[in-house]
Amino acid sequence: MRRVPRSARAALVVACALAAISPLYVGCRATQAPESRAEQVYRFRLREDPPTLDPAQVTDNLSEAVLVNLFRGLVSMDPATLAVVPAVAESWTVSPDGLTYTFRLRDDVVFHNGRRVIAEDVAWSFERLLRPATKSPRRWLLEPLDGAADFTAGRSEHLSGISVGDERTISLRLAKPFAPFLGMLTMPAAAIVPREVYDDPARAYLRAPVGCGPFRLARWEQSNVIELQAFDRFYEGRPKLDRVLVRIIENRQTALEEYRAGGLDSLDEVPREMTPDIRDDVRRYPFMGVGYLGFNLDRPPFKGNADLRKAINFAVDKEYLWNVLLPGGNSPARGIIPPGIPGYDPSLPGYPHDEAKARALLAKAGYPSGKGLKPISLWVNTSDDNRVIAQQVQADLGKIGVPVTIREVDWGAYLKAVEGTPEESGEAQMFRFGWYLDYPDADAVLRLTLHSRNIGPLGNYFRYRNAAFDRLVDEALALTDPGARAERYREAERIAVMDDAVWLFLNYFESATLFKSHVKGVVLTPLGEFRIPLERLWIEKAGG
Amino acid sequence: MTAYLIRRLMGLLPVLLAAATLVWALLFLIPGDPARLMAGGRAVDPEVLRAIRAEWGLDDPAAVQYLRYLGRLLRGDLGTSYVQGRKVTAVIGDHLLPTVLLAMAAVALSAGGGLLLGSLAAFRRGKAIDALVMALAMLGASAPVFWVGLLLILVFAARLRWLPVMGYGLDGAMLPWLHVRLPEWNHLVLPAVTLALVSMGAVARVVRASLLDSGSGAFLVTASAKGNGRLRVFVRHALRNALVPVLTVVGLSLGTLLGGAVATEFVFAWPGLGKALVRAIALKDLPVVEGCVLTLTAFFVLVNLAVDMLYPILDPRIQLGRSAPG
Repeated sequence: MRRVPRSARAALVVACALAAISPLYVGCRATQAPESRAEQVYRFRLREDPPTLDPAQVTDNLSEAVLVNLFRGLVSMDPATLAVVPAVAESWTVSPDGLTYTFRLRDDVVFHNGRRVIAEDVAWSFERLLRPATKSPRRWLLEPLDGAADFTAGRSEHLSGISVGDERTISLRLAKPFAPFLGMLTMPAAAIVPREVYDDPARAYLRAPVGCGPFRLARWEQSNVIELQAFDRFYEGRPKLDRVLVRIIENRQTALEEYRAGGLDSLDEVPREMTPDIRDDVRRYPFMGVGYLGFNLDRPPFKGNADLRKAINFAVDKEYLWNVLLPGGNSPARGIIPPGIPGYDPSLPGYPHDEAKARALLAKAGYPSGKGLKPISLWVNTSDDNRVIAQQVQADLGKIGVPVTIREVDWGAYLKAVEGTPEESGEAQMFRFGWYLDYPDADAVLRLTLHSRNIGPLGNYFRYRNAAFDRLVDEALALTDPGARAERYREAERIAVMDDAVWLFLNYFESATLFKSHVKGVVLTPLGEFRIPLERLWIEKAGG
Repeated sequence: MTAYLIRRLMGLLPVLLAAATLVWALLFLIPGDPARLMAGGRAVDPEVLRAIRAEWGLDDPAAVQYLRYLGRLLRGDLGTSYVQGRKVTAVIGDHLLPTVLLAMAAVALSAGGGLLLGSLAAFRRGKAIDALVMALAMLGASAPVFWVGLLLILVFAARLRWLPVMGYGLDGAMLPWLHVRLPEWNHLVLPAVTLALVSMGAVARVVRASLLDSGSGAFLVTASAKGNGRLRVFVRHALRNALVPVLTVVGLSLGTLLGGAVATEFVFAWPGLGKALVRAIALKDLPVVEGCVLTLTAFFVLVNLAVDMLYPILDPRIQLGRSAPG
């Protein structure tokens, strides 16, 4: 090779390493515009990037956290009372037979691209959700519509259950009465999208969503930040916040330090060990979900042995688990329907910790002191909390002689072992699960997780079959009187909890969130920490 | 020289093929159904599942899936992310620059710091400073990246407030054409130092050892005899000769460094490939996992090649592509 002067060669090594980095920074700081004093910016943390910002594909709370600010549907849910309230539709009527819903749209709703929202957009968005090519995991929320099955199967061009009157009128007709329907229309998947953006084979909308919500997407830098900007023409008026920065921070300790340093205005995870600087920032509030250990009712030893399942329920000390081991974020559960949801039963006895009762029931179940029981596999997906829960359950059950082996696996492997298929049960005998209600109705947990029609991946992983239970849940679905519905749900819950002990009932969820004191207008909601309406927030800094 | 470079670049292909096959096989064997995870949520309609499986060909026999995958790679197509619905090249494009910058900054720091500390230790051999440097080197090499990172955050960001806690910064300059953002420089410091500490110790030890080794060489006596000062002999003659093994260590440490980058990116919320990779593994987003692994493999091999190309510059006795003189 050519000879290079000595001194130049000596310098080369170090220079090579540094060369590529240093010059890139020239001028970086100059691009930073000084923040206007009056600018209102709210910064919150998400653990991960949202898997999707397409309303038709959303199934997780991270995606929802962003989506609910970009999109609106016909109706929304009041975050505090959980009542269905007007959104794009200013009013609606329901026919006396409970089958036809007629919505009157506002005339001042515009998409972020400036076009006015009309009834045709609603029809197109709903058909999109149901269309097979969309492959939406949330298709089910429109399945009560008349003709939905034919449309989804490709047997008809148009959805017979939807009829557009004029630009501001749309009617939805159901195949049969379905009480939670209106509540389901508040879900993010029922958002209204503009056809000119979403009818796109290249799917540019995945990175550039367009809705008619209070904020529009300004940028999305993967694993770093999502920036939302106030939408000037939002139909309820421009939000007080000018910008929202969604910062992607996976590690909770890092996020906590960033919160302390002032880089975040709220934080969705509260540390176990509270320090004085953040103690006053904590807000705790119920979250509509229930945590449990599911029993596989198609496999021994739980198959056909309610006494064994009751024994296990009595043996585990839920108070100790949620008040001592994992304090803050959960309260001990007595049943299935969480507080705040119509049908919640404060007088349900449940299974308070009672070792003597547990032993007696274990003997009655045919396993005195656990004799004859093979080790039961308890499956959890990897997480610190799950590990603590599993170990405590293992210890408590060990005391009465029930042997448990813990299988801790990643989420994919866990689902495979738990869900099974409609025909065949999964491998897991016992497994920890948390079920968040998709809409604030007991139907969202009782029917979806325990009705015999939903056995397998649809949600009834326990393979619970009880005709009396099914009948009550089906009846409640068709009733329109809220009181009568709640009564059915209470009755159904008693069967599943007190007679059949389908789960080991562990906890009702609570949200715990840190808010800096300068964040005003916070509406705490059972829908979860990410559903706090940002359009109602403002920042009030002393001298700011 | 050119022939050597071409030969080495050809050698890259089997390495990539092996990596591609290995990562594919591992992902295939891990339990869990990607279609199920794509469908998301808890309650899933079997019909939707079937449609997803058909779309991605997940029901085909393993051999068919493997060959389709290889065919795609040969056409230079890394595929489409299951989760994001975007091209894998776009996903990697979003995350590559942060990792490359972090790795380069860390290499520069660990080489520079290692040289300085190693020289200091050799210069003051047997003195307290020697022992201290070597103890620190050992500590740096054995402390977990995760822990070191958090410690640095607590000291320099949380307590002293000299540097930002985490992140890439929101207002770095945009690179024209590539449409990727540069980090704000002060955000780069702590992650780079954390990552550099992993290999800095190893570099320091090698520098010290090879300096002490060459310290007794006759060429140094000659250099001194010619009237060169102590520092000049050290820098121009001793250090020069010590650089070859240092280069080897730096090249080799790159593997550890890329591994450490995954943990560093996690601790500092640094939007790099490591984060994308871990996330994709959790979601079983197979095309993204494969793309990230192949990119990191190529990066590793290419940097090692670059290191090899540097040897003859440091030591003219080394000639690439020929067997060593006997």
